[in-house]
Amino acid sequence: MTALYVLDVPENTSVAKVAGEDETVTVNKIGPYFEITADGPIVVDRRATGCRHAVWYSCVAGVAGGHITQHDKNALRVEPA
Amino acid sequence: MAELEHKVRGVDHAAFPTFDPAGTVRFYRDVLGFPVVHSICAAGWGPEDHPDFIHFFFDIGNDDRIAFFYYFGLEPQHSHGRGDVYAGFGPEVPEFFVRSRHLAIHVDDQDDLLEYRRRLDDSQWPVEMQIQHETIESIYTHDPNGYMVEFTRAMRPVTPQEDLDANLTIDALLDVVGAPEPTFGKLLARKAELIVERAAAWDEAQV
Repeated sequence: MTALYVLDVPENTSVAKVAGEDETVTVNKIGPYFEITADGPIVVDRRATGCRHAVWYSCVAGVAGGHITQHDKNALRVEPA
Repeated sequence: MAELEHKVRGVDHAAFPTFDPAGTVRFYRDVLGFPVVHSICAAGWGPEDHPDFIHFFFDIGNDDRIAFFYYFGLEPQHSHGRGDVYAGFGPEVPEFFVRSRHLAIHVDDQDDLLEYRRRLDDSQWPVEMQIQHETIESIYTHDPNGYMVEFTRAMRPVTPQEDLDANLTIDALLDVVGAPEPTFGKLLARKAELIVERAAAWDEAQV
């Protein structure tokens, strides 16, 4: 199980929303963070989020049970360890 | 650790050397409109080899001040083409590092940010970049001494959860840099642990 944590602030809500559109991905809240979990990879399309550069590259608060294999202008991809 | 009472009241002054007092006064007083609020004319300063100098201050708002030292007869202290008059850098130093040290001056809103943009753009020190960061928008230029100066406004108020997040980041950072070979990936893994440990309890304490 991979978990991606994203702080719930206005700039980041689209990241959790886009991540949750994949039916293999579950989005919950833990305190003020989105907890985005999946058994397989978590992939977020950057353009679908509408995040500008600075928001996109600073939206990840934490990663558990996996690691980031892509974080560029196209996508954020977290894969199981 | 006992809570330490937070008693300080912002920046009294931040001081920088200058070899171009005329340009410095034009930039800060005449272009930006920062009042001259204090100056000291000093004949030396203790040691025999200390030059005579003028120490002059501009108000940067909130009664905070930026100050300069002009030393009579002092030659530039380095000959690098990059950096500022205090610190010069060779071509081997990456640009992000050269730009990392700067002074950011706060303004209330976008109207005020754009007002300072107009003042700079009408001068010989036009704005070099205007950027929306995560939650702030900033303009940048370099003053006549090569010091990077930023004006910035908040795009929204800071939320309480951002303070929590900042503290979790710092605690994770201290853990990671206290162990061998710190990486960003290790920080995100440690921060995930701290979120699981503390975030729910923090939320409940906010009510």
